[in-house]
Amino acid sequence: MIRKMPWWLGGIFMAGLLLFTFAAIGAGRPLGASTYVPYFAGVLFNLDPKEYPYLQEVHNAGAWEGVMLLGALVGGFLTSVFVTKTFKFSVMPPAWKKYKNNSVKSRLIWSFIGGFLLIVGARLAGGCTSGHFLSGMSQGAISSMIFGGVVLATLLITGKFFYNSEAADDR
Amino acid sequence: MIDRILSIFTTVGQESHGSVGVVLFIGFIFGVIVQYTRVAEFEKIAGFAMLRDTIVPKMLFLAIGIASIGLYFMVEMGYAQYHIKPVILGGLIVGGAIFGIGMAILGKCPGTGPVSIAEGRIDVLVGAVGGLFGGLFFTLYYDKFKMIMGTSLGKPTLTTIFVGHEGLAMLLFGIALIIISIIIPLRELDDK
Repeated sequence: MIRKMPWWLGGIFMAGLLLFTFAAIGAGRPLGASTYVPYFAGVLFNLDPKEYPYLQEVHNAGAWEGVMLLGALVGGFLTSVFVTKTFKFSVMPPAWKKYKNNSVKSRLIWSFIGGFLLIVGARLAGGCTSGHFLSGMSQGAISSMIFGGVVLATLLITGKFFYNSEAADDR
Repeated sequence: MIDRILSIFTTVGQESHGSVGVVLFIGFIFGVIVQYTRVAEFEKIAGFAMLRDTIVPKMLFLAIGIASIGLYFMVEMGYAQYHIKPVILGGLIVGGAIFGIGMAILGKCPGTGPVSIAEGRIDVLVGAVGGLFGGLFFTLYYDKFKMIMGTSLGKPTLTTIFVGHEGLAMLLFGIALIIISIIIPLRELDDK
């Protein structure tokens, strides 16, 4: 079996999945993947939804995305074991080593910070790559285009200044 | 706590957004596509931030281009409905800026992260713990964050801006995105 699906086929399948999710016969709602995080945080830290209005707001969407991501974990796991054969416990992405540093500690600390920023940012904007980019822009939503433009800008600026992307060309 | 975890299935079952099985299926296919195209790799997203890998924007723009045309016709024929997010300028700009920084550093987004964890990546698991604390922080200080987000300026879309030419606007938007996805030069960063 081919171990990697080309980007154009992935794009076509992703469009199909998005349309199925939107369709009344599917889920009748957009695809989203960041609302489940505060939902899980509420469960793990045992916060009472009565005291935290935000938990009430995300109750239904958070549960929906939580179940969806359970499916994604299974789909991703099975594909990595049987199809791409890339399942492996690892802490250091090769490109981090090449363009940032060799330190596992640095990678883990920055991962924590990156994850923290990712969720605070997504919750401020009301969506992420799935909710805004994929679902929002497919509806021609202006909110998602503003989000997309800002994300693209800070992603590229961070990429340029956070990593030594110029230096490491000759390995 | 176990009760609360299990209650997510009841909540989904009571909603009218697909049965638990349908939602699991959507997630499963999402996980397969993300894993099979390898877009959950650090090299793909951080690589794009360094402009050394363009698989993610190519695939994303193609998917949005096709879906925007398909969805417009589905909505017109009554098979689906739009669910537009409001323009909240403070939230979109401040949130988008923070999101982009986090995405470049972690090399994942909230959807690709779990798929990456399922592949055995411990660093992303640590990122997810950071994300949980981010979610906790946001929940605890929601009233403060609301002040940054600002008020909603409505839910404009291309179809409300180009009234009378909705179909043409969405068709051109979709075609433009598909063309963009094709002309972005293909670059791939070695993940070995």
